Amino acid sequence: MDRNKQHRQVALMRQSLFDQGLLDEQFVQLEELQDDANPNFVEEVVTLFYRDSARLILNIDQALDKSPLDFAKLDSYMHQFKGSASSIGAKKVKSECTLFREYCKAGNGEGCKRTFQQLKKEYALLRKKLESYFQLARQVGPVETACRRI
Amino acid sequence: MEKMGFGNVTSTSKTMKIIDTEKKISVLIVEDDLLIQKIHKVMMTKFGTEVQLAANGKEVVDLFLSGASFDLILTDLEMPIMDGIEATKKLRSMGVTSMIVGVTSRNQDSEIQAFMKSGLNACYVKPLNAEKVTVVLNELKNI
Repeated sequence: MDRNKQHRQVALMRQSLFDQGLLDEQFVQLEELQDDANPNFVEEVVTLFYRDSARLILNIDQALDKSPLDFAKLDSYMHQFKGSASSIGAKKVKSECTLFREYCKAGNGEGCKRTFQQLKKEYALLRKKLESYFQLARQVGPVETACRRI
Repeated sequence: MEKMGFGNVTSTSKTMKIIDTEKKISVLIVEDDLLIQKIHKVMMTKFGTEVQLAANGKEVVDLFLSGASFDLILTDLEMPIMDGIEATKKLRSMGVTSMIVGVTSRNQDSEIQAFMKSGLNACYVKPLNAEKVTVVLNELKNI
């Protein structure tokens, strides 16, 4: 595949992440911080997000197994998760975090459990798509100008 | 509430010091989360400031006690050992006149107001973005 086609493929893959509602403007902010001084900045930040998320998912899974549920603790974990998700522009993950916290406030354990399952699905989907995107972007190499359309 | 501040400062704040516009603005980022630390550090560096990091409020206070000074402090609210409210109150009681801007993931009015009352000049909901940083740095340069 020629270089231009490869770059177009990367651009389309990137655009689809926004079109599908997986990412928001915050991701673009991160991309705009990437430069020669920090050439892998976005991927490094996303990797930190994966690390935070793995820890929080484990903590929340364990907390949801307890009876009775400690909604304050669950809310605190999810507050952290939402903060991380917001920082990289993980739009759908962030929405599920918000919904989970509403169920916490309402003391609705079933709602929390249901929402958390959905959150884990959204997170897994985002992670898979981002990993594919970064892998292709690395193979193709940098473009000369940023593609900002979202 | 997304943002508060750059209106009347609290009674515990003192007059801002004059910033030398020819040298780089020095910024202390106070944040325990490594992901946010990284983002804010790169962002502030890209805006041409000189950045130092602290992981909690106690580190900030210790820095100032050791004689360090900064034009701008960007501080999280929730941190271990000493949180942003306690650290800000302590700094203001020590006579620190630097601009202190809160950056928090808490977005309830009551939480932000409590943070502001500790002596902040402004408070923003995380994450910082270019627009918020521009407002803060313009405010700093205009004093």
